[in-house]
Amino acid sequence: MKTLARQVKLETKLFLRRRDDLFWTLAFPLFIIVLFGLIYGDMLWEDFGLRAIEYILPGIVVMALMTSGIMATASGFVEDREKGIYRRLSLTPLKRHTILGGQLIQRYIVILVQAILLLVVGGLAFDIRISGNLFLVWLVVTLGALCFLSIGFLLTGLIKSARAANGISMVVFFMLMFLGGVFFPNEMMPGFLRVFSDALPSTNLNDVFRAVMIMNTGIGEMWRELLIAGGWSVGSLVLAVRLFRWE
Amino acid sequence: MNKVVEVENLVKRYGSLAAVDDVSFSVEEGEVFGVLGPNGAGKTTTVEMIEGLRKPDSGSIRVLGIDAFKEPERIKELIGVQLQTTSLYDRIRVKEAVDLFGGYYRQAIPTSVLLEEVSLTDKVGSYVSELSGGQRQRLALALALVNDPAVVFLDEPTTGLDPQARRGVWSTMADLRQKGKTIILTTHYMEEAEELCRRVAIMDHGKIIALDTPDALIAGAGLDSRIEINHVPEALRSVLNQADLPARVSEDGDKMLLHTKEASRVLKEITRVAAEHDVELESISVQKATLEDVFLTLTGRELRE
Repeated sequence: MKTLARQVKLETKLFLRRRDDLFWTLAFPLFIIVLFGLIYGDMLWEDFGLRAIEYILPGIVVMALMTSGIMATASGFVEDREKGIYRRLSLTPLKRHTILGGQLIQRYIVILVQAILLLVVGGLAFDIRISGNLFLVWLVVTLGALCFLSIGFLLTGLIKSARAANGISMVVFFMLMFLGGVFFPNEMMPGFLRVFSDALPSTNLNDVFRAVMIMNTGIGEMWRELLIAGGWSVGSLVLAVRLFRWE
Repeated sequence: MNKVVEVENLVKRYGSLAAVDDVSFSVEEGEVFGVLGPNGAGKTTTVEMIEGLRKPDSGSIRVLGIDAFKEPERIKELIGVQLQTTSLYDRIRVKEAVDLFGGYYRQAIPTSVLLEEVSLTDKVGSYVSELSGGQRQRLALALALVNDPAVVFLDEPTTGLDPQARRGVWSTMADLRQKGKTIILTTHYMEEAEELCRRVAIMDHGKIIALDTPDALIAGAGLDSRIEINHVPEALRSVLNQADLPARVSEDGDKMLLHTKEASRVLKEITRVAAEHDVELESISVQKATLEDVFLTLTGRELRE
């Protein structure tokens, strides 16, 4: 327990010292929410009976989860592995599952901080009220964390070099963001893209999150989206475990 | 003498290549044991199997009496390792790194004492990414010593260092020897092995081809002195090659090497032949033979090519 706590502290310290991680996980999502808040102002999206910014906020939270879960995880882990840090650590009595546990806990903490920060800024600056159940909101954030962390670690198993990890995780991130209905409703997409988009974890998590947080739809109505997002989580997790490598 | 490391019939294959081919040796308590050989001889693979980083295909390893395959975790507490290159997180400070590693062991030397020992006291607050090559090596050494290990493995600790930094590492190793630590040193610098090691195992192509004290290795190869003549004219070379000298003669371009136990006689003969053929010897030297010469004698190749 003590060593695990120490690893979490270490990972947190290293995270706070990595400027690119800080930018992508904290500054970038805040910048996006402020930007869209200013662009859309009080504009209504009548189709949904929502203000545009209310529609977009849940998507930005999902996007933020992807910056930690996919981008920071894939590039950070592969870089440390490529440098031989895990090899050096394996000479000490430190257990490997403690290293991994420390990283997962630290990432989850960042994810919670991101979600809270965005919801608070959304509430204070743009008057977005969370009408849904906070417990459900937390549950969906946690499902998102599980899903994207699994994808992030799956990428570390597939990618060898840190350079490639940086590039590929960025591509995956942007694809999941733009095709995942973060900035505009995916109803606006042409048919063939729509089919693709509907299958993505980001799209489905967006929809669930929006339903739970803003529209206060019962979570039971979202079973289809939950099933797809859950499928991605479990599938990526299983593959990530199988392909995982320390060296 | 207690045997601190015992290795028997160690084999490691990569495909059809036997990187380590039936290697056996033991290291005694308190000695500096050198594993010497050219790059690719299997030195690093051998020590990394003892450290627990690689799994041998067959053979047995005991460290401090503990079976390395049955209880690797117990061994980790008792040994310290400096790898050929040690990478750390860029954004960690020197003091934090030592504290961190110390925390992984049941017992640890206080960070300030350790940093004093490797002369990094003025760098405690620096990020690892800001250190020079020599400073990084010293930090790696500090991390290897953090648990006050009984056995220390140093893999090419001075490769790539300037002469001054190399001297620094040597003096730290001398201190460790004073403290009674057992040190296993891999290196491809013969002079380093001669200076520091009590016994040396010379490896080539995955096998140990000789193992003894440096003096005994040199004497055993029938080499007391090495005579080196540079810029030898063709005429003189062929004469010397055919002369019946009590020496082993080898040539490298217009350079001649003569290894002998009778330096005076051989020198006399060389100067006689040179004078007879009216050749001026521009550059000739006599030195005590080194492990470098032992390697040359054993393999017919120079260690550094």
